[in-house]
Amino acid sequence: MMKAVVALMKKDLKLLFKDKMAVFFTFIFPLLFAFFFGSIFSSSGGSQGLKIAVSDRDQTEKSQAFIGQLKEASEFRVTETDEANAKKLVRTGKQVAFIILPEGFGENYGGIFSGQPPEILVGIDPARKAEAGYLEGSLMKLGIKRFELAFSDANEMIKQLDFSIEDIQQSDDMPAEWKSLLGDYLPKFKELTELEIAKQPEGSDSSGLSFGSDGDNPMMPLKITKEEITVQKTGPRNSFSITIPQGVIWAIMGCVIGFAISLVREKTLGTLDRLAIAPISRTQILAGKALGCFAAQAMVVTLLFTIAYFMLGVRFDLIKLVLAVLAAGICFVGFMMFFASITKTEQSVAGMTNAFLIIMGMIGGAMIPLFAMPGWMQSISHISPVKWAILAFEGAIWRDFTYIEMMTPLTILTAIGVVTFFIGTRMLKLKQS
Amino acid sequence: MIEVRGISKRYGNLQAVDNLSITIEKGHIFGLLGPNGAGKSTTISMMCGLINPDQGQVLLNGNAPGIKETKHKIGLIPQSIALYEELTALDNLSFFADLYNLPASQKAERMEWSLAFVGLQDRAKDAVQDFSGGMKRRLNLAASLLHDPEFIFMDEPTAGVDPQSRNKLFESVFELKALGKTIIYTTHYMEEAEKLCDRVGVVDKGQLLALGTVDELIEQYGGESRVHIKSEQGEESFMTANPVNDLMTRLKGLTTVENLSLQRPNLETVFLNLTGKQLRD
Ligand SMILES: Nc1ncnc2c1ncn2[C@@H]1O[C@H](COP(=O)(O)OP(=O)(O)O)[C@@H](O)[C@H]1O
Ligand SMILES: [Mg+2]
Repeated sequence: MMKAVVALMKKDLKLLFKDKMAVFFTFIFPLLFAFFFGSIFSSSGGSQGLKIAVSDRDQTEKSQAFIGQLKEASEFRVTETDEANAKKLVRTGKQVAFIILPEGFGENYGGIFSGQPPEILVGIDPARKAEAGYLEGSLMKLGIKRFELAFSDANEMIKQLDFSIEDIQQSDDMPAEWKSLLGDYLPKFKELTELEIAKQPEGSDSSGLSFGSDGDNPMMPLKITKEEITVQKTGPRNSFSITIPQGVIWAIMGCVIGFAISLVREKTLGTLDRLAIAPISRTQILAGKALGCFAAQAMVVTLLFTIAYFMLGVRFDLIKLVLAVLAAGICFVGFMMFFASITKTEQSVAGMTNAFLIIMGMIGGAMIPLFAMPGWMQSISHISPVKWAILAFEGAIWRDFTYIEMMTPLTILTAIGVVTFFIGTRMLKLKQS
Repeated sequence: MIEVRGISKRYGNLQAVDNLSITIEKGHIFGLLGPNGAGKSTTISMMCGLINPDQGQVLLNGNAPGIKETKHKIGLIPQSIALYEELTALDNLSFFADLYNLPASQKAERMEWSLAFVGLQDRAKDAVQDFSGGMKRRLNLAASLLHDPEFIFMDEPTAGVDPQSRNKLFESVFELKALGKTIIYTTHYMEEAEKLCDRVGVVDKGQLLALGTVDELIEQYGGESRVHIKSEQGEESFMTANPVNDLMTRLKGLTTVENLSLQRPNLETVFLNLTGKQLRD
């Protein structure tokens, strides 16, 4: 007689959606929670710019100016620090990449017609291909600015030409032909530029000389040397990876409270008598309730993770996630039954379930993320089922748990669920007969 | 037929029902009359298999009430409004019908019949929470009739109901009786028991104190009638066990009677005589 169980489940879901408070606490609040705290703690959200650590070995005016440009650019969020620390920040996942400006950067940055493009050392996790590409592109864009800077200001250009002529004359390793060619060409170019300046009307801005960069310019804006850095997995890459499981916990707790109240309400209203009098077994009645609670949980978890995937860039292992949802579902359905069985009125079930779950939530990482907890608190958190649920979800998201590692939280959750469900259903039975 | 054989139920120190036995014929309306806390609901719950008696036995057509076959024959109208207030009347009925596994065509037909039976066709799509107390009571009844039960248990169905809805409900009870249903009706209103029931059991403190038709009970436990006469000889009142004879004798000596009243004992006096207290406190 699945029909009765399905009818029971459908009825409960209908009632849930008619209850504005329940909808708020199971669907809206968890989403707001995940969004709100996720954006506050957002550690490397793509929209806010890549978090990069920058270290300046060169310590010249030009290198400092370049760092200034990095800081101004909307593509980056820059932390300037020493080299060792910059590397550490990337290795520990706190920053996406590090950039080191080696000696000679400033010299090459200024010298446009001579020497090599300025070199930049970039360290990034090879796994982060998208960010690496974005980083390189953005750096090149900035690098091009050095040409613009030089050529957009005629006076600056004349200065540049003087530097270059001098450079060329002093240079030992340049082939003689190149030396004479450039020695002819550059002073002429300088004359031409001076003429152009003279032509400009009085008081007008001397900028605006455009440089024909038809693409055959062999000079690269920057020379980017990449170093691969393996990131230790000590924290999530995306703060929503933390807040989404937390939001899911709040949602599940909302479901538990909602269904525990609805079960007690059936007792007080007398609808449970109608169910008990019908030709269905007590097991079917309880199964209907449990399934309803579970279905509501599954719906809200699906909703949250869909939003997390498509809008917040949270990635997860689907099979492990489904396992986590199942185990957490069993656990919290058990609690729902337990609380509904030990209380007599709607107020007491609401108060008791609320108090218990909020405390379990607080010590279990639904507010302060587990990894951010002080050590003593992490040990206390073991007693909270919320901790194991969050661990299971995080295992499927960023902790990269193996199936073996997943077994611990999954087993604990299932065991808690089975025990509380058994006690709950037993006590409900005793009450009625 | 319903046979109740010496059922008892204890809650802690409280003997809610004490060795109660009744037999109810098919097609009868049987009333359980008693004050609040007498054990009426507990008795009904044991009769329809909702709770198990500590001792004794209930048989519906010879079967225990808990078995599936019997469950299809039981309709319970609980004392409380056992409905989902947030859902519409139709949603409620549809849900309860699903519990009885009615085939789709039969389900639609029975839902329509039940709504019409209690006169709520026009409000089918409204949420129960918008109903008046009387309408909720009527829907509470309709929800128990979907599977066309043979035994109908009504636990104080008129509680908090306006006089109009009350009369409608009485009509419904008679209609159900006309359909051949066996009805068990609990109340603490003696008027309802007198008006509706073929037989009445008077209960107090878990015990069945008397059992019979209303007339039998009054005759047996009602005591004397009060006669009041106002005539040329003045006003007089007297109590008598045999009002008709006594009145005939008294009237023979009078030429003009201005006013005469005969107050026969009722179930209220039956209860008073049985327990020494009023039915309603
Ligand atoms: N589940 C229960 N637990 C404890 N006492 C109960 C329970 N149900 C009923 N009682 C007590 O049993 C007595 C009879 O109750 P009940 O059958 O509801 O009376 P009635 O329906 O005639 O008003 C009352 O004193 C009531 O308080
Ligand atoms: Mg009662």
